[in-house]
Amino acid sequence: MLQIYCPYCQELREETEFSYSGEAHIARPLEPQQLTDAQWADYLFFRTNPRGIHHEMWYHASGCRRYFNATRNTQTYEIYETYPLGQQPALTCDIGGKR
Amino acid sequence: MIKCHSETIRTPLCDAVLAITSDTNAGIYMRENTFGHLNLRGNPTDKAFLSSIETVLALNLPLIPCSSVRSDVFSVYWLGPSDWLLMVPIGTESQVAADLRDSLMGQHSAVVDISSAQALVNLSGVKLPELLQKAIVYDCDPTHLPVGKVVQTTFAKTGVTLCRCEDGSIDLIICRSFSDYFTLWLRDASAEYGLAVVDACLSRPKVSAQT
Repeated sequence: MLQIYCPYCQELREETEFSYSGEAHIARPLEPQQLTDAQWADYLFFRTNPRGIHHEMWYHASGCRRYFNATRNTQTYEIYETYPLGQQPALTCDIGGKR
Repeated sequence: MIKCHSETIRTPLCDAVLAITSDTNAGIYMRENTFGHLNLRGNPTDKAFLSSIETVLALNLPLIPCSSVRSDVFSVYWLGPSDWLLMVPIGTESQVAADLRDSLMGQHSAVVDISSAQALVNLSGVKLPELLQKAIVYDCDPTHLPVGKVVQTTFAKTGVTLCRCEDGSIDLIICRSFSDYFTLWLRDASAEYGLAVVDACLSRPKVSAQT
């Protein structure tokens, strides 16, 4: 079982308290009506699937009920850092073609 | 059952607890404590918000994660960076909520009475650590969950808010709708230790036969 550091509760908690919420740092297009169907579909459905470093959102469902971001290695499951929404990760890598 | 404003009201665990046969040599003691529960939302970096709360409660909101503050009248639990649970004496929740709303007039905040959505159970006894280990993945050792610390986690398959009391017992705040599940689980898990209900106010008076 993973132990995940919640940046709001500021302590390690069991994975069962959390739920995974998909890729982080995806900005909603400011003018969706200007997009082609392909661009809209890309925003809506297509996600990176990197082997290695991945920035993703987690939800502390049974705890403080806040979303936060995590930088996780998809190969080893190691979580390098967690940080509040609105902040940028300290650790980045272009392996997955991060948007 | 408790008396409140000349009316008898049923506590959330009233029915569920009736099914428990109290063990005279119990390892676990259970007590339902009734409070008014208010949920408070606001911006903790806004000094006007903090001072408005302090004016009404005569308490500073706990801003440190997983902490709580209490006075003789109120207890305030930290639930999130902009989220607090306020426990007030039963029957006063409407008045306190109205006072808070008056004080917070025009501010970006919310005060919601959630008294009927939650139940507070106090557990104590020599077998309490063993019992909690069965249900809660969080480490509830007093060194990790000291007096006054508030932790929201899971209890079996439901959510719970834990707080260590000064006498070493633990307050568990559960969803009122999960009270049957909670007590059934508690009966089962504490069968090997013995379980006793220690609050007389939970007993329901006998219904007289209608003639």
